[in-house]
Amino acid sequence: MKAKMDRRLGRWALRPQSIPFVLLLPAILVIVFVVLFPLIFSLYTSFTPYRLTRPESLWTFIGLRNYRRIFTDLDFWIAFGRTILFLAVVINLEFLFGLLIALLINRITWGQRVLRTVMMFPMMFSPILVGFQFKFIFNDNIGVLNNALQSLGLTDQAIAWLVDGWLAMGSIAFAEIWMSTSVFAILLLAGLFAMPREPIEAARVDGCNNWQVFRHITLPFIMPFAFIAMTIRSLDVARAYDIVDVMTGGGPAGRTELLWTLIARTGYDNARMGQANAMAYVSIILSIAFTYYFFTRLVAARRYMGGAA
Amino acid sequence: MLKTVIPSVAVLLTSTAIATSAMAAGEYEGYTLRVKLIGGAQYEPLYTLIPQWEEETGATVEILSRKNHFELDREIKQDIASGTINWCVGSNHTSFAPQYGNIYVDLREHLTEDVLGGFVQLTLEHSTVNGRLVQLPRHSDVSNLYFQQSLYDDADNQAAFKAEYGYDLAPPDTWAQVKDQAIFFADPPNFFGTQYVGKDEAITGRFYEMLIAEGGALFDESWNPTFNSEAGARALQWFVDLYEANAVPAGVPNYLWDDTGLGFASGTVAMNLDWAGWASFFNDPENSKVAGNIGLVRAPMGSGGKRTGWSGSHSFSVTESCDNKEAAASFVAFLTSHDSQMVEARTGLLPTRSQVWTDAKAEFQANGNDFLVLVFDTYAASMAEDAFTPPLIPEWIEVSNVLWPNLQAAVVGEKSVQQALDDAAKDAREVMEDAGYL
Repeated sequence: MKAKMDRRLGRWALRPQSIPFVLLLPAILVIVFVVLFPLIFSLYTSFTPYRLTRPESLWTFIGLRNYRRIFTDLDFWIAFGRTILFLAVVINLEFLFGLLIALLINRITWGQRVLRTVMMFPMMFSPILVGFQFKFIFNDNIGVLNNALQSLGLTDQAIAWLVDGWLAMGSIAFAEIWMSTSVFAILLLAGLFAMPREPIEAARVDGCNNWQVFRHITLPFIMPFAFIAMTIRSLDVARAYDIVDVMTGGGPAGRTELLWTLIARTGYDNARMGQANAMAYVSIILSIAFTYYFFTRLVAARRYMGGAA
Repeated sequence: MLKTVIPSVAVLLTSTAIATSAMAAGEYEGYTLRVKLIGGAQYEPLYTLIPQWEEETGATVEILSRKNHFELDREIKQDIASGTINWCVGSNHTSFAPQYGNIYVDLREHLTEDVLGGFVQLTLEHSTVNGRLVQLPRHSDVSNLYFQQSLYDDADNQAAFKAEYGYDLAPPDTWAQVKDQAIFFADPPNFFGTQYVGKDEAITGRFYEMLIAEGGALFDESWNPTFNSEAGARALQWFVDLYEANAVPAGVPNYLWDDTGLGFASGTVAMNLDWAGWASFFNDPENSKVAGNIGLVRAPMGSGGKRTGWSGSHSFSVTESCDNKEAAASFVAFLTSHDSQMVEARTGLLPTRSQVWTDAKAEFQANGNDFLVLVFDTYAASMAEDAFTPPLIPEWIEVSNVLWPNLQAAVVGEKSVQQALDDAAKDAREVMEDAGYL
């Protein structure tokens, strides 16, 4: 019986129309075990009161209780909204600074390689180190920034950078931007290097000024690169954790609480992994929305440039 | 007091003998002991002794992790969840231990009373969860009040303070005096009266010890949250008053121990409640502007007549799943032995073996290090008489996580003191209900 089935399976696998499936099978299996299975498992845990320290709680099914808690939890939704705002501000500023740096480096004819390498230094630091670095820079009493401002006579106050809600979010955004602007700069620089000279020369012959060349030729050409960078960074920033945790821990009084500081505290410190996974699944909506938006814009930008959609 | 701290020399000799006998040459030849240890500058000197244990026993120590305690805590929880506790010895802490259920052995079943008798008994009590000694304390932690001596010696300060507050300026014995003096010394943004840690479990612990000192309690006997009592309000009001008076740096809601330590060492803070681990740093002219100008008194009292004394011990535990518990027990006994603790005591860490208190102090005296003698005397007194732990329940960290954002909200003026405590009590009740206490 078994031999018969083996023969049938062998014949099926050798049929021409089966070959694509057979060739794809290893990749499908890898995806199922590495991606799909953990996803389904974590989705299942979000319907349980699973606690890391009580493995037996994994098998208690509580339906939508975790989700009901989240939907009535104002703190979660405030963190959700704050994460969207943080993401929007950081991504846009990183794009602007990255574009500026890329345009400046593109103009340089000497020392460009060295500058490109130097530009990438902040990316090489661990986010935890960056967090500690800026925590001490922004320290109100012994921090470099306040001491500099006071020494220069610009203020006689100890500005509490990490206490006031807006200042604290601004300080965290500064650290995040400092670390990752070079992602944009590098990708946009790659776009500028790949850009053909002919359209620019034609525009200049037609009498376009610098702004018009930039606005109507350079910018549309590098926008697909920008949208790729935005997609990558939106996924990163939506999961921002290390820098925030070190600099403020989500406080004071929840003023800098982002989704992942809340989720990590719930999942690990409180060991409520079921509830944390439910939060994570709700927060994935954010990443999906941003990724979908940027891909739509990417396709539109490529279509505008006459590329394949 | 000293009776509890200083044991007989006989006990020391016996415990040393037992520890030595446990390390009979080549006893664990060829065995590899897998361990997960806390890492960090002040913890590392002890680990330089590990080759000595390896040489004595023939075993090899494989260090799987060397992380800070919060990361190690996460890793251990992941190991519990995935059922992969395939290691034998782990660093632990009295505040964390109750969370881990029964993954660690009762060390009383693996170590003789002669070994355990050398420890300060209070630290062993704090290391016991549900009647089981799940950890062997390595060094302890309690805070006392450092201050800049010159401020108190200054005749102008003395006269001005007496005129304003009606009593003599002297190192404070109550938290009310700390508040008066902190406000008196403060000259923001250049100089501050004191400071406090303001986030995470750090501020929960500080509030907790103030609550106890004010005569309050976190929970009643049935585990109902009771910290939103009058005593709780008095305790939290102390933090709020200092913040509103600008007597502490405006950034304190974000401060942890490194911030307060570096702040005091910068010379811009008059008084600082901190642990002994900073003592050598504070008195080192290369690192500190207050070196040679430091006074130290026991942590002051609250209005309930009790001194603050939030305490805990770093420790080592042996897992139930360990395939050679005797080797593991021998290893933790070695790491907490007299000689091992002397290595840590020399850096200012508080030993958990009574004899080490005596011997370390004698060594400081012989070296003419009067400051560390003062440090050890002060901390010995507070460890013996004032120290108390948070409730040793698995939910401590979770309760802390609902408490500290509300404490911060009161400090920065987003909520009134009573509202913050009531909100926290409501959330803490939910935690305790979920855990089945209520």
